[in-house]
Amino acid sequence: MGAALNGRFLSDESRQRFLKAIRPWLKPKIVVGGVIVLLLVVVGVTAPLISPFDPNAQNLNNTLAAPTWWNGVNFLGTDHVGRDILSRIFYGARISLIIAVTVVVISGVMGVGLGAISGYFAGRTDFFIQKLVEVVWAFPPLLLAIAIMAFFGQGLGILIFALVTQRWIPYCRVARGQTLSLRTRDFVDAARSLGASDRRIIMKHILPNLMQSAMVIGTFAMATAIISEASLSFLGLGVPPEIPTWGGMLADGRAYISTSWWLALFPGLCIFFTVLGINLLGDGMRDLFDPRLKRSGAGRG
Amino acid sequence: MLSYLTRRGIGTIPVIILISLLVFLLVQAAPGDPADLLLSDEADAQDVAEARARWGLDQPIYIQYVKFLWSALQGNLGTSFRYAEPVLVMIIERLPATIELAAASILLAVIVGVPLGVWAGARPNSWVDNFGSLFGFFGISMPNFWFGIMLILVISGYFNLLPTAGRDTYGIGSDVITGFYIVDSIIQNNWAAASDGIKHLILPATALGTNMMGILMRVTRSSVLEVMNEDYVTTARAKGLSDSVVLWHHVVRNAMIPIITVVGLELGTLLSGSIIVETVFAWPGSGALLISAITSRDYPLITGTVLMYTMAFVIINFIIDALYAAIDPRIRFEK
Amino acid sequence: MTKTANAAGGTQRNKLGEVAMFISRMTKFLSVALVGGGLAASSAMAASEIRIGVVNDYAGWNPYADSTAQMYMSWCQTYGCLGTFDTNDGKYKGILAERWEVSKSNPNVWTFYLKKGIKRHVDGKELTAEDVAHSIWRNKNDPRSAQKQNTRPVKSWKVLDKYTIQFTTKKPTAPLLSFIFDRLIITGKDLYEKHGKKADRKTPWGYGPYMIKDILIGQRFVMEKNKNWPGIKKSHPDRIIFRRIKENEARITALLNGELHMAQFIPPHLLDRVRAAKGISVKGTSPVEVMFLGMNPKFKPWDNVKVRQAVAYAIDRDAIIKSIFRGGAEKLDGPVGPGQYGFDPAVSPKYRYNPAKARQLLKEAGFPNGVEIDFFTANGRYINDRESSQAIVPMLKAVGFKVKFHTPEYSTQWPMVRKGKRSFFYQGRGSVVDPSAAIAQYFETGVAPRIMYSNKEFDATVSAERQEFDPAKRKALLLKAFNIIQRDVPAFFLWRIKQYYGISDKLDFTPRSTDRMFGFDMIVK
Repeated sequence: MGAALNGRFLSDESRQRFLKAIRPWLKPKIVVGGVIVLLLVVVGVTAPLISPFDPNAQNLNNTLAAPTWWNGVNFLGTDHVGRDILSRIFYGARISLIIAVTVVVISGVMGVGLGAISGYFAGRTDFFIQKLVEVVWAFPPLLLAIAIMAFFGQGLGILIFALVTQRWIPYCRVARGQTLSLRTRDFVDAARSLGASDRRIIMKHILPNLMQSAMVIGTFAMATAIISEASLSFLGLGVPPEIPTWGGMLADGRAYISTSWWLALFPGLCIFFTVLGINLLGDGMRDLFDPRLKRSGAGRG
Repeated sequence: MLSYLTRRGIGTIPVIILISLLVFLLVQAAPGDPADLLLSDEADAQDVAEARARWGLDQPIYIQYVKFLWSALQGNLGTSFRYAEPVLVMIIERLPATIELAAASILLAVIVGVPLGVWAGARPNSWVDNFGSLFGFFGISMPNFWFGIMLILVISGYFNLLPTAGRDTYGIGSDVITGFYIVDSIIQNNWAAASDGIKHLILPATALGTNMMGILMRVTRSSVLEVMNEDYVTTARAKGLSDSVVLWHHVVRNAMIPIITVVGLELGTLLSGSIIVETVFAWPGSGALLISAITSRDYPLITGTVLMYTMAFVIINFIIDALYAAIDPRIRFEK
Repeated sequence: MTKTANAAGGTQRNKLGEVAMFISRMTKFLSVALVGGGLAASSAMAASEIRIGVVNDYAGWNPYADSTAQMYMSWCQTYGCLGTFDTNDGKYKGILAERWEVSKSNPNVWTFYLKKGIKRHVDGKELTAEDVAHSIWRNKNDPRSAQKQNTRPVKSWKVLDKYTIQFTTKKPTAPLLSFIFDRLIITGKDLYEKHGKKADRKTPWGYGPYMIKDILIGQRFVMEKNKNWPGIKKSHPDRIIFRRIKENEARITALLNGELHMAQFIPPHLLDRVRAAKGISVKGTSPVEVMFLGMNPKFKPWDNVKVRQAVAYAIDRDAIIKSIFRGGAEKLDGPVGPGQYGFDPAVSPKYRYNPAKARQLLKEAGFPNGVEIDFFTANGRYINDRESSQAIVPMLKAVGFKVKFHTPEYSTQWPMVRKGKRSFFYQGRGSVVDPSAAIAQYFETGVAPRIMYSNKEFDATVSAERQEFDPAKRKALLLKAFNIIQRDVPAFFLWRIKQYYGISDKLDFTPRSTDRMFGFDMIVK
């Protein structure tokens, strides 16, 4: 034992406990996925610090320059108006991250919230919310977003709105299912008999139990959010051009693919590896939280 | 069973109506006037007004919607502003191309993903398994439009093995019977045309099918793993049946159900994905039609195409639910 | 359902194909029988087919429904049109018209004499003035007509005899030919009376040097040589397939693969690649499309001429032309450049890159600390439009403009421009062979709301110019109008982007700046 904080950072026992808690997380999937995601976050957060250039700084004397790697100024080359690709990749990580996190958080809050309400109150509330779910869910995944972006124009806010429109539903479904089973449990009855309000019951007793599944859904949702944003930008329906996103870079770069392949290759690779990392992480987390869920391999967030 | 289906079927009707309303409103809310866009540079205000009147755009929105709904129920989805053809006809013309692409993608995904999954599942934790799993993850994570572009660049551009875009080469083809070029060619014994059609189909189908390939691989693997541990498999083995017989007879057959389930679940994603892949490869399907309709603000065509996709999706989901209900009787009695 | 789908493509193709086959067989037979052995040997040669990659869409069978250069070109050589502008010698040449004249006594009256003996495809009926009269009627009255503006100057018409038709214009219109010559499509009166609007689909028979074989909407236009056309040669392609491939990369790759014999509009960054390819050469033309920055005085700060002039001085056009267009563009001084009607190197004032002066002008205009503006650009409509606008933004910022840059989809942008709702925008104006219509459209008071610029002196000048039949006097008036535009800068004319065509060595063709690719200008080697 011993709170021997002098000399040693952790006591033996604390260290043992720490290691024991952490061990299940040390699967290759989670480690690799986690490292990639961590890298994404770090790059996104420190983008202004680590970027050699302003991502929007044009240099018309140096357009479509090939990657110089370590030998020159533009590590990954420049695009059609002379902007440094590496810097844009870093800032792109930032934006992709912001968009993905925002979409996931908003849709998660909305979905879990509505799902909990739907499942808890059942009856008419449930009916209407589920009808809403049915109508919105009836659209094939990207189609509604395409329609919204096409009609309301470009803009970061609209993009997030378009992406959230369908994405809250998986959370809602799962949360509703879990709430439905939870609300009949003993501890809920107990809380009610003690005079707790519905709101309190939901907040204190039900929501915390919905967190785990929400996290798993959320992880996969980040991956699909990134791909969806890239797809929309690719179709020309994404964010305005001043904002560097990987999808936008891909769309730009496509017009130059045969002569200046680096414009399209690197953002595409980034999307690919980021999504891969997120999928690995999510899959690993799911294995951890509920090994029974290991059966199905569908990665749909 | 029938009552369940009827209930489900009736339940979709309000959904469909709401969807049509949503789509209609969405389209109306868009900035940009189709009359302005479709008439030439030099048309003046009077021409624009005439065009708007001709297309019924000068009437209040609710009247436009009611008219639209009424004709839609009679099978008339309106006339395209740009092409002056009935929307329904245009969509149906383009549908075979999309179906062909989707079918080819699914076929490719199954042919590659399932055997790989079986192979990996039968040898858990071997290098085969790890390779297979990696492949599966790659497939899921690959952005299909980027993959498509890379395929065009490398296989078409660099190696010049396959055509870059489009669905056929003019002149080789034969008469249109079903709308499925490859099938038509084979029926008419035109092997050059059939091979031409297949060549054009390979790259888009690969780009579109990769996601499903990865998913199928992983599902199959899990299924196989699960089934491998079942009692009757152990029994069969104990009886002396060889591994491969056991594998194919018992394991694969039982793994089929989740596979079919997954294909059904992923069809929606495939549908949306096809819109993008069609754009990349200039594949003349309904997805490309939709995008071009959006660009030209062709309201009836946009509404019609979006509705078509959604209806297809609803119908597919309905069929899947029916299959589920057939397999699992408990579902029929749920509310 | 299958039947409908067939009607769209299959059956039509078959019927037409059979008829075309019959005609070609008949012609072969006749030529062998009448002219003898030599020709017989050559007519047994395999049919030559030329495949061309184009950018714009094929939207349907109605020849009056589109107003793009590409469609005018397609219908002109199949259905037929009166004539076309030959950019090589700057003169109008007749296609269906033999000659034409303006009445000396009444400059509103134009008389057109048609060529005799022009036989229609398939049924062989002869072209008459009645058909031309019908065509004008249809141009003005077809519900789907997007070409009405071409016949707007024409008030009435009269058939004088079988081969002669007379137009009367509302006001003397010197540039009438630029309105109607290759932009009035001639279709058959009797066919329309018999089939109504279904005529375009059932009987797409025209009088031109090529026959319509098939149109696959959104994809391609196939035409076959009309062997009866006077002057048509063996060396002209037997069949031309125009394939629509909008994506630059795909179109150029198809050219390099041999899938196409010619590709329109090679973007600047792919030029080297095409030039380096064996068996393909690059030919460029200075186009008749002018690119400009529109500045609408209805919106502040564009009501101040100094602000507009500041923009003109702020932009380093040479740098953009060098980097974005790789040298494939020419600076413009005024609305037209060399080769376009009315061009005069004496136009003044000319603007050269001078950011210091731009800043000075902004100060004088009352904006010493800069001014906020919105900048809208066309996006994906013209070659490198978004890119060149992107490059313009920092140049404007450098002299004090605080730019909010918008890249809306063209389908949203274009109607807004036409309605005059865009304050500051990058735009192109095509088909400026004769600038009269274009400058009136943008700068004459009350014609179109795009740029609400109004100047009485300008209005008087263009009105006079339109009615002036003497070329020298007319050009002088045009120069005066150009100078007013340059001085007031309601639009700053930036550049003309060279249009590059990639052409296989198997095809002998010199591209026209009017983007007209006529089969009878092509020779198959």
